[in-house]
Amino acid sequence: MADMMKFSVPGKPQYVSTVRMAISCLANSLGFDVEAIEDIKIAVSEACTNVVCHGTTGNGEYEVCCELREDRLVISVVDKAGGYDPETYREPCLECPKEGGLGLYIIKALMDEVEIVTEMGIGTRIEMVKYTK
Amino acid sequence: MTLQIQRSFDREKGAWNITPKGDVDISTASMLRSALDEAYRENKADIILHFDDLNYMDSTGLGVIIGAYGRMKENGNNITLKNPRDNIRKLLRITNLDRLLCPELCE
Repeated sequence: MADMMKFSVPGKPQYVSTVRMAISCLANSLGFDVEAIEDIKIAVSEACTNVVCHGTTGNGEYEVCCELREDRLVISVVDKAGGYDPETYREPCLECPKEGGLGLYIIKALMDEVEIVTEMGIGTRIEMVKYTK
Repeated sequence: MTLQIQRSFDREKGAWNITPKGDVDISTASMLRSALDEAYRENKADIILHFDDLNYMDSTGLGVIIGAYGRMKENGNNITLKNPRDNIRKLLRITNLDRLLCPELCE
């Protein structure tokens, strides 16, 4: 059975860097190379930023769960902030850059697998996988 | 994580030199926005962002720069990134913003 680590994080901007540093240490200890560690740092920050900006109310907490498998790191960012309608999500147009909306696009570009499960009235879970190769 | 930003106006080139050091993320992006806005309000000129000492930036920082770029373009001014590190170069590449903000990477 894979080892698991869970962080319960207050939904405030100042804690996103703490999560980023913790996951970076974890990825380093699993033997990921520098480029992969940077990819994981950005992807996790983007997922946490999404929660802090859109997914919590007040000081609501969210969870960051890390599953340490032999060949991969699986990171899930889970909030209980009511979910959203995935039909409303639009891929950003890279020809006409805007200030927002790049987060999910970047996560998908940097991680090997990404799954987003959102349930209206419950919350959202972003699961991201990076293989050690 | 902290962010420090230095800025100075180069009268010879007629451009701002702005140097952020540290990390730009959701908790510090507003500092970068203020630095860009204040500089541009003070003197409407091109801005050169020196990224030599910027360790980390994600979409929050990109958003701030895109916003400034849009406002400056209306007046015919430009914003250019210099010497971004590999992690930031990759971010610029996958979002296609290298062509817009850092042409030296596309040469």
